[in-house]
Amino acid sequence: MLVAGLLLGACVEPPTTPLDTPAVLDIDDVELPEVAATSVERRAQQVTVRVRSLGCEQFGLGSGFVLADGVVVTNRHVIEQPREVTVNTWDGRSFAAEVTGVATDSDLALLRLEDPGDLPVAELRTVPVERGEGVFAVGYPGGGPAQVSPGRVLGMVDGTVLGEPAEVIRVEVEIAQGSSGGPLVDRDGLVVGVVFAIEVDAGIGLAVPVETLLERLDAGELVAPGAC
Amino acid sequence: MLVVLLLLAVVGAVTATVVAVDQRDVAAEWEERALELEAQRDAIDEQRAEVADQLEVTRDALVTSERDVDELEDRVRALADEKARAEDTATTVQVERDVFIELSEVISDATGALDSCVSQLFDLQAASVEAFNRANAGQDVDIDALNARATDVTRFCNQARTAAANAEAAADRLLGS
Repeated sequence: MLVAGLLLGACVEPPTTPLDTPAVLDIDDVELPEVAATSVERRAQQVTVRVRSLGCEQFGLGSGFVLADGVVVTNRHVIEQPREVTVNTWDGRSFAAEVTGVATDSDLALLRLEDPGDLPVAELRTVPVERGEGVFAVGYPGGGPAQVSPGRVLGMVDGTVLGEPAEVIRVEVEIAQGSSGGPLVDRDGLVVGVVFAIEVDAGIGLAVPVETLLERLDAGELVAPGAC
Repeated sequence: MLVVLLLLAVVGAVTATVVAVDQRDVAAEWEERALELEAQRDAIDEQRAEVADQLEVTRDALVTSERDVDELEDRVRALADEKARAEDTATTVQVERDVFIELSEVISDATGALDSCVSQLFDLQAASVEAFNRANAGQDVDIDALNARATDVTRFCNQARTAAANAEAAADRLLGS
């Protein structure tokens, strides 16, 4: 028995394979600051423009956002009876724009930039917003610098009293005159609405849902703007 | 029997010796392996510390870069805002200039018409005085021609007054008063 035990003990050799090297650091565990260059806020700011419209009787300032092919979406009321429309970007570039159409039953208008260059473009979300969802309103309140305001969707409300064909988005977010036409974007940076009004007493923002915009774009239900 | 026991003892002793030697060798291998692993562990620990330091430095650099980018973007936004507002002002000034040019033309037309009206009234007055003097002197006076001229002057002056009223209306409209 003693001999067998001794023999058995003699069979145990040290392992020759190298030890498993422990992970030095799991990159997912490292707390890195948000990379601003790719942040949703920055991207949203880059696609949002300031719209200046010289009309027959008024000088209008508002916001808008860029789509593919130099198309800019804004509010109809920002560019009433336009004589000269200019678009300013957040970083100081200016573009002459032409009003290509306004919606007859919604506060929406489309502009086209003469030479959009490499302007980044916004992406539209096809899925409706949900109550409580986090969003950002981007625009140029007061005609001032670009501003990104976080908030959340309060719900949908009948838009017919406001001249809209369907429900509009009620959103708890800081907006002001000059924000009109700016995009309401979700946490992924997709446009879910077009800011167009404020409930003055409650300070609640209202936005035309992007579905209404898509319907107008698809159906081509846009007309020429009014002339002087 | 004794011989067998003796043989067994010898075999056992030999086996024990062989096993002991082998165990000593294995122990030496284990010790060597342990030292090797300890060195490997120390190297890995050192490498980990080095990478952690590098990561920390990189993280700090990234934070600094982000802060710099944020500050630069704030500056870009401020400059873009100034530029946009300057363009607003330029546009407004352009509009005001156009308004003043249009108003100036309307007023100029009205003033010219009124000035011409006054000249024609002076001429009519002179002709009337002359006609009055001729009548007093018993000479013939062409009253019909004088009346026709007065009608023409009145019509012209009414047009001038209309132009002046239009200019006033244009001023109200363009200046928003």
